[in-house]
Amino acid sequence: MSLIDITFYILALTTFFAGVAVIAIPNPVYSALCLAITMIGVAGLFFTLEAYFIAGVQLIVYAGAVVIMFVMVLMLFDLKHEKKAFSKGLFSMILKIGSSAVVLASIFSAIYLTISAKPRLEEVNTDAIVAAKGLALQLFTKNVFAFEVIGILLLVVLVGAIALAKGKGGTHA
Amino acid sequence: MGSDLVEVSINTIKMLAIFLMMIQAVPMLVWVERRGSAFIQRRFGPNRVGPLGLFQLLADAVKFIFKENFVPKNAVKFLYLAAPVLALIPAALTFTAIPLSTPVEVASFELFGQSWGPYVFQFRGFEMNIGIIYILGVGSLGVYGLLIAGWASGNKYSLLGAIRASAQMISYELALGLSIVGILMIYGTFDLVELIGSQTGHLQFSFSGKEYHVGFLPNWGIFFQPLGALLFLVSAFAESNRLPFDLPEAEAELVAGFHTEYGGFKMLVFFMGEYGHMMVASALFAIFYLGGYHIPFVSVDSVKEFFLSTEMFGTSTLASLMTALVFHLSLLFKVIFLLWVFVWVRWTLPRFKYDRLMSLGWKTMLPWALVNTIVTALFIYYSKVSG
Amino acid sequence: MLELEVGLSHYLVLSAALFIVGIMGVLIRKNTIVILMSIELMLNAVNITFVAFSRFLNNMDGQISVFFVMAVAAAEAAIGLAIAVAVFKRFHGINIRFFENLKG
Repeated sequence: MSLIDITFYILALTTFFAGVAVIAIPNPVYSALCLAITMIGVAGLFFTLEAYFIAGVQLIVYAGAVVIMFVMVLMLFDLKHEKKAFSKGLFSMILKIGSSAVVLASIFSAIYLTISAKPRLEEVNTDAIVAAKGLALQLFTKNVFAFEVIGILLLVVLVGAIALAKGKGGTHA
Repeated sequence: MGSDLVEVSINTIKMLAIFLMMIQAVPMLVWVERRGSAFIQRRFGPNRVGPLGLFQLLADAVKFIFKENFVPKNAVKFLYLAAPVLALIPAALTFTAIPLSTPVEVASFELFGQSWGPYVFQFRGFEMNIGIIYILGVGSLGVYGLLIAGWASGNKYSLLGAIRASAQMISYELALGLSIVGILMIYGTFDLVELIGSQTGHLQFSFSGKEYHVGFLPNWGIFFQPLGALLFLVSAFAESNRLPFDLPEAEAELVAGFHTEYGGFKMLVFFMGEYGHMMVASALFAIFYLGGYHIPFVSVDSVKEFFLSTEMFGTSTLASLMTALVFHLSLLFKVIFLLWVFVWVRWTLPRFKYDRLMSLGWKTMLPWALVNTIVTALFIYYSKVSG
Repeated sequence: MLELEVGLSHYLVLSAALFIVGIMGVLIRKNTIVILMSIELMLNAVNITFVAFSRFLNNMDGQISVFFVMAVAAAEAAIGLAIAVAVFKRFHGINIRFFENLKG
């Protein structure tokens, strides 16, 4: 095992258990904090995959996003009275966990069956600046239409979110 | 990797030294801030302990460390204790990615009957050629420390301060990110060292096919991006929660904001985080707009040749080390000046109202940053189109 | 499968596990904001897959997809939180069962 492998295992375990904690902890404040740890872990995994630019963007975008969720949780909940965090019903719970397990098992078996020959980490061009330039070139030549569409989508979302959240009787009404 | 014992150990020592440098600078900054405030307000400030009150910081540190370590009744203990550290870590991590001077080249030498090959030690914590993205990304994690501190204290004033802090930092992060897009487009790199390297010599640029030279000005980014520099400076003030944007800890409204419940050494760690953010912001401003560690009109080679010609530092290793120190002093001078600007502004401008702060961020800074980006792009396009 | 040296399959397994954790979160939690968090988890799991394939096939398209996924995730989170605020104003709580009132 090389150093990068050990890094991967540490990051993978952190990310996975933080992800489990997001759904397993009843208090949504801790869920938000664990989600932040998950996001940082995913950014670290992107580092191990030498996608430095994506890792940085992941940190910038999701750090802000999770902070907003955290604040929303703080503003919208009376945390002393959060008792029923999970859905009720033993039978439906068994059904939900069972079906999730079936999906997981089928994905695992698909991975196991298709990747028989393990691709090695081969030497590729890992210069982050060259990689970032390649990314930008692809983004603004081949995928420029999708880029524009995303821009319009974000504009629509901006208008929609303000229209939804504003309403009457807010603090700035 | 091919790194051997000497290289690994020196790199480890170097990282520790850079971290300690940051921690060490904090008491000095506290002194500068207190004496500077006193100077601006025409009073004396701390002047009893030691010459010029310089030992005041030592006394303060002792006092902070020996204070009682208590946790408020309503606090969430683990998060309450973790929050100051979470505020310090992003500042420390970003500081390590900043290039502080020219690299030190160590020629091969003999030790313990073995020859150790030539090394190059960067004058920074670790090398990273997308330093700007990294610094922005890790720097944006700084808000968690404040938010967790405010929530875990179990105090309404703390919580209000924390929510203000999060809204303010997220809003101004946009303006901060957009304000440096112009300079990134001009120099075409994410690498801080490369960015500094292209700011040497005198001011020169080409526009519509003609070369322009301005002999009496250095080739600094601020002359290409004056608006960007202003926006970056204002956003940096907001990001490090300094006056006139220190709404998260507005003492007239919120007692002390997110750190109301903190005292003693935990408070000091918050201070370290805040001053660390200020240092990182100042260093970034110096790198983006003031030529980084370069001295105007003095090239690295000429300084190195000067040291090579002296008797004391005649060997190439020592000359390289001395050159690095000289350029490090140059960066330090710029950073200290900018930190003084932080203190200066604190006693010059009154605190904003919260809605004014938000409307400044979203309705003034963000549109101007966009305009700056577009104008820069047009400028670059027209300087290339007929050249 | 159980080799210690990290390859593509390790990233895929981690990604699948995280994705399932996200699905479970959506299924078993009642709090709308935690459900939104679970959706973010699923999107991140998919991002890991994209970047892992991009790295091991030495092709940039995966990273481009990650950009778009992030943009869509931001849009989804913004609208989701706006709806959560609207529901909270109406019912003074954001339990997922309040959405049953959206039936026409």
